[in-house]
Amino acid sequence: MSEVIYSIRGLSVEYATRSGAVRAVDGVDLDIRRGEILGLVGESGCGKSTLGKAMMRMITPPGRIVTGELWFEGQDLMQLSERKMRAIRGGRIGMVFQDPMTSLNPVQRIVDHLTETIRTHEPSVTEAAARARAEELVERLGIRRERLDDYPHQLSGGMRQRVMISLALALRAGLVIADEPTTSLDVIVEAKFLDLLRELRDEFDLTIVLITHNIGVVAEVADRVAVMYAGRLAELGDVLEVFGEPRHPYTQGLLQAVPNIELDGAELYQMQGSPPSLLDPPPGCRFHPRCPEAMPICSAETPAFQSVSGEHLAACWLYQEHPEVVADA
Amino acid sequence: MTEAPPEVPVWRTDLERIGLVRRILRARRWYRADWWFVAISSVLVAGFVVLALVPGVFAPHDPREQVGPRLLAPGEAPELEALVVPAGSGVNELADLVSEERIKVGVVQGTPSSEAVRDAAARVTERLRADGGDERLRIRVVRHETLDEALRGLEAGETVAVVGSSSELARVLDDHPGLVMVGPVDGEGAVAGRGFPLGTNQLGQDVLSRLIWGTRVAFLIGFASALLSLAAGLPLGLIAGYVGGKTDRVMSLVMDSLYAFPGLILAIAITAVLGPSIFNVIVAIAVVYVPTYYRIVRGQALSVKEELYVEAARSLGATNRDILRRYVYPNVIPSVAIIFSVNVADAILTGAGLSFLGLGLPPDTPDWGIDLARGQENIQNAWWLITFPGLAVMSVVLAFTMMGEGLMEIFNPKLRDR
Repeated sequence: MSEVIYSIRGLSVEYATRSGAVRAVDGVDLDIRRGEILGLVGESGCGKSTLGKAMMRMITPPGRIVTGELWFEGQDLMQLSERKMRAIRGGRIGMVFQDPMTSLNPVQRIVDHLTETIRTHEPSVTEAAARARAEELVERLGIRRERLDDYPHQLSGGMRQRVMISLALALRAGLVIADEPTTSLDVIVEAKFLDLLRELRDEFDLTIVLITHNIGVVAEVADRVAVMYAGRLAELGDVLEVFGEPRHPYTQGLLQAVPNIELDGAELYQMQGSPPSLLDPPPGCRFHPRCPEAMPICSAETPAFQSVSGEHLAACWLYQEHPEVVADA
Repeated sequence: MTEAPPEVPVWRTDLERIGLVRRILRARRWYRADWWFVAISSVLVAGFVVLALVPGVFAPHDPREQVGPRLLAPGEAPELEALVVPAGSGVNELADLVSEERIKVGVVQGTPSSEAVRDAAARVTERLRADGGDERLRIRVVRHETLDEALRGLEAGETVAVVGSSSELARVLDDHPGLVMVGPVDGEGAVAGRGFPLGTNQLGQDVLSRLIWGTRVAFLIGFASALLSLAAGLPLGLIAGYVGGKTDRVMSLVMDSLYAFPGLILAIAITAVLGPSIFNVIVAIAVVYVPTYYRIVRGQALSVKEELYVEAARSLGATNRDILRRYVYPNVIPSVAIIFSVNVADAILTGAGLSFLGLGLPPDTPDWGIDLARGQENIQNAWWLITFPGLAVMSVVLAFTMMGEGLMEIFNPKLRDR
C-alpha cells in the first residue's frame, strides 16, 4: 500500500445562513495516497466542492471549518498561520476550477499569471527566469509559447483549463485538487484534458483529487473513487471494485441511473425522492428516506464508515453488525 | 428536455473579443450607441484642454489688466484716444514730449482719456528704460469741463498737449485751426486692431481673454478636485468592498451621510470654514464628491471579489494585497474612468457656483463664476457679460457629461437594457 499524502480526519464545514447552520461536510475521514487519481463524485450540493476547498482551507465566511484535522506532509494544516498556509496554497497544493472561462483574470496576460505565481512563492526568481519556466511549462502542456502574451479572452476553454493546470504545476505542487475541471468543456476537449491529467500524473508524480458529478469521467481516469452523499462519504474504494460491485444502495442507484449502451430501450432507473436539505438532515443514515433497502435502524443510528471487503469501505448498515441482524439470525 | 437558452444577440458575444476602437465604431451598428456623441464631445473637451493649457497663445489681452474702454459691446470698435498738439510743434507722438519737467496734458473730466494718457506715459517711460536711458515722461493731467475748453487751454499755452476721444475731436477740431491731431495714445491692443470680439466688462477688461484664462481656473478646479476625491474614494471603496463586514458598514454609513447632504451647501460650508483660496475650493469640492467614487468602487469590489479568478488567485497563494492590486483594482478602473469624466463636469459646475456666490477665489482671478457674478450687476445694459461665461460653463459641462455617458454606453452596453 502506497504512502498517504493527505489525510482528512473528522472534517466538518458549516455555512451560516439566515435559517441556521448548514453542515455541508459532516465528519469526513479520507486518506489520499501519493500518486493516485481519486475521483470524488456526488450530486450537486452534496458538499464535494466544499470538501475540496476545505482541503486548502479556502472556506470563507459565512462558511467555516467547525472541526477536523488536515494532515499534509507531516503537519496539520488547521494549525498553520495564514501566512504559512499561503505558501502551501499554490506552492504545495494546487487547484483547478470548474469554469476556465472565469478563473483567469481578464485584465492580465497569461504570462503574468504564471510569473507572478512563481515569484510570489519564490521571490528570488527573476522575471526573465520565471518567464522561461512558464514557457517551458506551457509548451509541455501543448500551448505555443507565443500565446503567453495573450489575454485570457483570446484563448479557448480547453487552453484556459490547461493554463490553470500549468498554474498549479508552476511550483511543482504535489497535490492538485481539480473541481469539476471538465464540466464546461465539450467532449473531445474533455477527453484530451483527461489524457493530459493522466500523463502529468506520471510525469510530475502528481496526486490528483478529481471532483466531478460525471461518473464516466471518474471511471475513465480515477484509480479510486469516493462517493459522497449529503455531506458524508457513502462509499470509497478501488474504482473497478466500486463500479463493478457497488455496495451502498446510493452508489447502486447512481450507477443504474447512468445511461449505457446495454440499456437497449429499457426504462432508465430513477432514484426516488431528492437529496435532503442539509439544514435539517434526516437522522441516522441520511440516505434512508430514499433507500430501497431501508431498515428500522437506518433512521435511528448513523452507520460507521468501515470496510466491507479489504480496502473497499461503505457506510451502510447492510454490511455491519447490528441488533436487527443478530435478531434475524 | 433542456429548455432553449434565451437568445443572446451576436454583438454581445463579439463584444468581448474586440478592442476599444472597433468597439466605438461598431457600437452604433450593434446597439445604436451614438459614437459621434463621443467623437464630438472628445473634440470639445480636447479644445478646452488646449485652451486651459496655453491660454496665453489664444487670449488677445491680459485678463487682469484694463485694456480698453469700459463696457464695450462685442465687435464694437473701441473709441481711440488721440493726441492733439499745436501745428508745427514737431511733436508726432507722446514720446516726443519727454523733458526734464512735468508735462501738462489737458483732458476732459469723466472720460477715459486721463487714464489712457497716464497708461500711455507709463508705457513710454518703460520703453525708455528698456533702451537704457534714465529719462522719464512725467505728466500732470489738467482737467477741463469740455473738449472745447481743453483745446482753448492748449491754444492759450496752459497745456502742452490735449488727449481726447478721436471721434469727438474730429467734430470740434475744425474750430481750432492752429491744432493738429497726431495719432492715438492707446495701448497696443486697441491700436493694433485686435479689438474686443466679445466686448469688455465694467473694468475695461477683455471678456474673451478672461473667458480663455477662466478655462484654466475651471479645469484646475475640476481636475484637481476630481483627482483628489478619486484619490480618497478609490482606496476607501476598495477596502470597504473587499474587507466587508463591520469596516464596510461603518465606512458606508459615513459616506452615505456625506452623500445625503446637498453638494453645493456642503461645499459652501467647507470653504466658509477653510477661508478663501483656490486650494481650499478644490478641497471643498473634493470632499463633496468622495462618496460618488466610494459607492461605485465599493460595489465593483464587492462583485469582483466573488469572481472565480479571485478565488483561483487565492488558491495559488496570493495575498490580500496582491488580490486588491492585481485583480480587484484593474477591474474597477473602467467604471471609475467614466465616473471621473462626469465628475469633472460636476466639479466645474460646483466651482463656478462657489465663486458666483463670492466664496473661495480671490476677486481678481479670471474665473467664469466671478465673471457671471459681476456681469449680473450690468445685466440690463451689457448682455455679453453673463452670456459668454454662461455658455462656456454650459459647453464644458455638456462636453464632459456627453463624453462620460457616451463612454459608459460603449464600455457597458448592457446597462441600456435596464
